[in-house]
Amino acid sequence: MTLRGFLRGRTFRDLAVVTVLVFGVGSVAMLLAHVSPIDGFGALFDGAFGTPEEFAETLVQTTNLLFPALGIAVAFRAGLFNIGAEGQLILGGFAAGWLGAAVPLPAFVALPMVLAAGALAGGIWGAIPGFLRARFAANEVIATLMLNVIAFLLATYLVNGPLALAGAGPSETPTLPHAAQLPDLLTGSRLTWAFVIALALALFLRWLLFRTIFGYELRAAGDAPEAAKRAGIDLGRTALVAMSISGAIAGLGGATIVSGELHRFNTGLSPGYGFIAIAVALVGSLDPLWIVAAAFAFGVLQSGGIAMQAEAGVPRDVVSLVTGLVIIALAGRRVVAARRTT
Amino acid sequence: MQAVDGVDLDLFPGEIHALVGENGAGKSTLAAIAYGAVRPDAGTVEAIGTVGLVHQHFKLIERLRVWENVLLNREPRRGLAIDVEAARERVRRLGEEYGLRVDPDAVVETLPVGIKQRVELLRELDREPAVLLLDEPTASLAPGEIASFFGTIAGLAGRGTAILVVTHKLAEVIAYADRVTVMRAGAVVAHHRTSDTTAAEIAREMVGGEVPALAARAEVAPRALFEARGLSAQAGSSLIVDASFALGAGEIVGVAGIEGNGQSALADALAGVAPFTGTMTLAGTPLRSDEGPAARIARGIHVIPQDRRSEALVLDWNVRDNAVLGRQRQIPFARYGEAAREIIERFDVRPPDSDAIVGMLSGGNQQKIVVGRALAGAPVLVVAYQPTRGIDIGAAILVQSRLIEARNAGAGVLLISFELDEIFACADRVLVLAQGRIAGEFSRDGIDRGRIGSLMAGNA
Repeated sequence: MTLRGFLRGRTFRDLAVVTVLVFGVGSVAMLLAHVSPIDGFGALFDGAFGTPEEFAETLVQTTNLLFPALGIAVAFRAGLFNIGAEGQLILGGFAAGWLGAAVPLPAFVALPMVLAAGALAGGIWGAIPGFLRARFAANEVIATLMLNVIAFLLATYLVNGPLALAGAGPSETPTLPHAAQLPDLLTGSRLTWAFVIALALALFLRWLLFRTIFGYELRAAGDAPEAAKRAGIDLGRTALVAMSISGAIAGLGGATIVSGELHRFNTGLSPGYGFIAIAVALVGSLDPLWIVAAAFAFGVLQSGGIAMQAEAGVPRDVVSLVTGLVIIALAGRRVVAARRTT
Repeated sequence: MQAVDGVDLDLFPGEIHALVGENGAGKSTLAAIAYGAVRPDAGTVEAIGTVGLVHQHFKLIERLRVWENVLLNREPRRGLAIDVEAARERVRRLGEEYGLRVDPDAVVETLPVGIKQRVELLRELDREPAVLLLDEPTASLAPGEIASFFGTIAGLAGRGTAILVVTHKLAEVIAYADRVTVMRAGAVVAHHRTSDTTAAEIAREMVGGEVPALAARAEVAPRALFEARGLSAQAGSSLIVDASFALGAGEIVGVAGIEGNGQSALADALAGVAPFTGTMTLAGTPLRSDEGPAARIARGIHVIPQDRRSEALVLDWNVRDNAVLGRQRQIPFARYGEAAREIIERFDVRPPDSDAIVGMLSGGNQQKIVVGRALAGAPVLVVAYQPTRGIDIGAAILVQSRLIEARNAGAGVLLISFELDEIFACADRVLVLAQGRIAGEFSRDGIDRGRIGSLMAGNA
């Protein structure tokens, strides 16, 4: 997207809406908590940027949001409202954590295998609603939403039940062997090479969506399904493929959290990354490069929110409130528009 | 943007006044202002009495009865209930008075199009309008029905109603209207008494210059190319039943018929969007019912769909990406721009900019892209479904000329159109479609307008 188009287009309006929501509603919420918005936002930004370690944590949050947001963007571009990134991410994390801890893998393939297992599990979890949509025209919004719950309960059951491993705490896998852990990018922080992988993935997806025939057909199916169908594009196949890719990317994100930050799977590995990522993808106009910027902005809110609570006494829930409003403002409009055209 | 600017129009009691102009000339806006649906920025509209409007696309409630539609919101009452007997009687009397006989108890969805239009007209007449506006009233009528429709309208005018007909059919203007107002680019460019002018003169005034000539037809000996036998298919409510016909290479076969007589099913069966029974063979190879549009395109069958906005274009995309839709796998991604520039040049797309967003172009320029890409890859069989719908004369002539050139170059062209003039201008042979069946076939030399009109109306 050119800068001129960006400023004229919806992206600019979306960003204006988001800015007003974050600072406007955020300020009101802080005032209700009897805190000066200047102190509150000051604490937030200080917490996100104050020290190298804090900045590294901001990038960790950015990374954790970036994977599911990129996955969501692929599905949305194909016209599929995938809100199942959370479940895809959790199952990806479980597959990575379990494989890494349970199966003794040769050192040089351990890390790729663990990450691939995460992508595969997430991809399968995304393919299910894609298949239901392609075969039975099932609404993917409802399917993905419900599969989130199933994914969480399935992972909880497996890790505590049939696939429980010796030496693990409740709802956890044991620590991964060193060879299966993503190396740190900055020692003394949780920032790992996952950040670099996510950035490379954004570049790759930008190319895939906008510079290949595959991306062309995927976007045509999303933007004008009837015209796409008549142009020989198989809408069912596109739905299946797009949802599988979408789920695989979210699943890979879950795997990087397990392999890089936690070094084990834990059912509480995501504080809702898959949901916040919907807002990230929409604020980023479903364009992988803008999504990187949007993920950073939300990463700031996530990591700064903790500091804001500790130092300024503003409940962290203000961040959740603002994020929720952004989702309603941006996603709500798109859902309404999509329902009108179908 | 100004749709109409400084326009004067007088209607007199008892006259039939035609308002003509190209798409976007401002005639619909002017009619809407006269009706009161659009408020003018400057100027005044005066009418002695009420104004009625009959829409091109009927605004009837299909599942209600005729009297319910005619008297909607004006039902005669007895206490809290509707006086059904009085309502029936009122509609019956109204019909007799104006010579528009309809069964008041018929459910609208069961009625043929011509009768539906009577209902629409009766609804307006019940309000006794001093001025009656008719928007493209003959768009869905057979030629025979058109004459009787204007007979009714003349009767209305005879009783003192002023009638304004918005239309693009110039032959009807000359035949049935008293006066005509010609609009171009938001302004009135001419007023005539129809007895003092010709259709050719009006066309020149609409275009603002000479109307371009259609491409010449080369002498081509058609070779066998395509054959349908016992073809039946369904697309939505559109049905084609047991149709058998042949189409040669280097031949344009026109499919004449009134909208809603199976055209969509025929086009969709060929496009690979609707499954079919019976057989279709292209160059000796049978088409499979379960193969999709991709397979049809690969066989060289290119369809120009009826609704370019929803069935053919991605409106948010630019010209380049739209110009290759359908051929996106046949052209390397890096060559998309080149393919688009060829179409822009050959079809005079304006603006000549591959980065322009297609949704912002005029209908004519959008259609040039759709037709251009269908003809770009040396098609074997082109199915053109209403290829000039709602576009200006210049663009229409260009589209028709390119179809004729494709035929000259050896393509088979199936031209499905609701405009008989278009079919007569372009086709080598004419099939008549009525109620989903092929009701007749005419060679170019043997075209009998009266007979075709009668077949279109469903008379054997």
